[in-house]
Amino acid sequence: MSNLLSVENLTMKFGGLTAIDDLSFDAKHNQITSIIGPNGAGKTTVFNCLTGFYKPTNGQMFLHKDDSKISLRKYTDFKIAYVAKVARTFQNIRLFPAMSVLENLLVAQHNELMVASGYSLFGLLNLKTYRDKEQLAVDKAKYWLDIIGLTHRADDNAGDLPYGDQRKLEIVRAMCIEPRLLCLDEPAAGLNPKESAELNKLLKFIKTEKQTGILLIEHDMSVVMGISDHVVVLNYGKKIFEGTADQTKNSKEVIEAYLGVDE
Amino acid sequence: MEKKDIIQSFKDSLFTGLIALALFGPIVGLRTASKGEGLFITPQWGIVFLLVGLCILGRFLINLNSARKTEITFFSKFTSKFSAITEDKAKHFAITAILFAVVFPFLPFTDRYFMDVAIMILTYIMLGWGLNIVVGLAGLLDLGYVAFYAVGAYSYALIATTFGWSFWICLPLAGVFAAFFGILLGFPVLRLRGDYLAIVTLGFGEIIRIILINWYEVTNGPDGITGIPRPSFFGLPFKRSPDEGETSFHLFFNLEYSTMHRIIFLYYLILVLALITNYFTLKIRKLPVGRAWEALREDEIACKSLGVNPTNTKLTAFAIGAMFGGFAGSFFATRQAFISPESFTFIESAIIVAIVVLGGMGSQTGVVLASIFLIGITEMFRDLEQYRMIAFGGAMVLIMVFKPKGILANRKPTILMHGDKK
Repeated sequence: MSNLLSVENLTMKFGGLTAIDDLSFDAKHNQITSIIGPNGAGKTTVFNCLTGFYKPTNGQMFLHKDDSKISLRKYTDFKIAYVAKVARTFQNIRLFPAMSVLENLLVAQHNELMVASGYSLFGLLNLKTYRDKEQLAVDKAKYWLDIIGLTHRADDNAGDLPYGDQRKLEIVRAMCIEPRLLCLDEPAAGLNPKESAELNKLLKFIKTEKQTGILLIEHDMSVVMGISDHVVVLNYGKKIFEGTADQTKNSKEVIEAYLGVDE
Repeated sequence: MEKKDIIQSFKDSLFTGLIALALFGPIVGLRTASKGEGLFITPQWGIVFLLVGLCILGRFLINLNSARKTEITFFSKFTSKFSAITEDKAKHFAITAILFAVVFPFLPFTDRYFMDVAIMILTYIMLGWGLNIVVGLAGLLDLGYVAFYAVGAYSYALIATTFGWSFWICLPLAGVFAAFFGILLGFPVLRLRGDYLAIVTLGFGEIIRIILINWYEVTNGPDGITGIPRPSFFGLPFKRSPDEGETSFHLFFNLEYSTMHRIIFLYYLILVLALITNYFTLKIRKLPVGRAWEALREDEIACKSLGVNPTNTKLTAFAIGAMFGGFAGSFFATRQAFISPESFTFIESAIIVAIVVLGGMGSQTGVVLASIFLIGITEMFRDLEQYRMIAFGGAMVLIMVFKPKGILANRKPTILMHGDKK
């Protein structure tokens, strides 16, 4: 299996604080790579570097596409999602609460629709080419809503959905940009066991059917152990362990990091 | 109701009275009067006690009422009437309103004064609709919207007086200039949100006004620009005695000359301009760019994570909002035939923002209702002269008390998957 993402010697410093210290790891195509670690280990900072919200102090991040590789450092801001096709979700859900579920999914397809609407010109003239493209976008949204079972709520405000559904909606919204790499920041936070199981199913579906690599930050070990192909463990910004889920479970370093060392 | 409640209400209303005394005491109680060789203070304690008494009584009644957990019938009637106007009914309302607006000049009671007020209200409606794109949809609180109104008015006035081009050429040009200024303002404020954005836009509005005052060679400074050409009816001017080789409107249509012709024409002009603004906004709201504006208002970081370019999206909102402000400005210039920086003070921006916010952010019909309510009430009390702004403030307070989210706060999705169920 070939690499999808390689992070090389990533370092991020905030003043005197080193949040990430010389971190290197790879994530492969069609795999779920989990990043775990105690609170404050620097997991979300890794995500923020990858998705262009922070500019890392040092190090490189490459996204492999066919035989070429593109450096994520070059892209900032919205271009990470637009050009490099790296999508992300957030620890605290960031939907557009006052917009409908369907609209949320259409905003994710903004760039294609913008071109289709001739930068609004064709749209204002209500040309058929635009209306057809818009219908395609709605169909795509419907496809994803069917998968998470929210089609019947498509016209309700996203903010009115139950918490678990909002989580799922945020994930499929990110999928609507057709990402190569999907970064999920604690998708199972606040979910009940039934919802966590549904989430596992959704992530497995994305992995196998959509051929999208997934990078996952998670505290819920039932999710991590259930679906991860590869686990990277961070503590104080450093990688302390890397391996399969089973190896991680039995690793001495990981247990020490989480539970402390016997005196 | 328990005795304790009554005592509590009474205490509260006494406290209200204390605040009222502190306010009314110096403002109303001490009146300066010039007698002979200087200013003297004449106390008016009678009025002060009357006002304070009214405040105490009013507060006491409201307290009693809320303790009973029921509303005074008058108030509940008032609020239910307003909440009855939902977006669903808004469509019928809109059609009725447009029909009414079309026949308005020919109604029997319509006189010159009514027409002037109607034109003023329509101008504010158009400005409200223009600003609604920036504030209501894109969520960028712009307190300097009057700057674009001024740019439009001055562009029109300067082009028309310098080159003598017709209204129909100058109008789009003024819109383009205003849009350009919208982008000019947009660039430095891209990173700002909320309060900070509001302060910078407020400053921008003042900068434009001060440039207009001081750039004497071009704008004629505080003297303003006079003799701005009036619009013509497809080449037919509204003049009693047209120039050599010209036919005027009343001669062409064989009518008795009347100044009302021009007023009616101006009325329809602003009506059409306003309706174009409305149509455009309703259309663009349903396009990707419109949805991106609203998404930006909801959550900018989420927008970035989905690949929406916030720079372009914000700039288009500023530019398009400014363009409609510019159109309204051209209309203002051609209606008045005279403009000066005095017409573009901060209070104008404040009124337009008030209209948008009180109407219910993003609601087109709300803007209409708020304009009619705010401008209409202020006009109704014109006899009170400088005190009529109290009516304006009172109208704002009424809306805020009874409809804190604006007159029409319901948002309808721009696209539906299951069609209209209701």
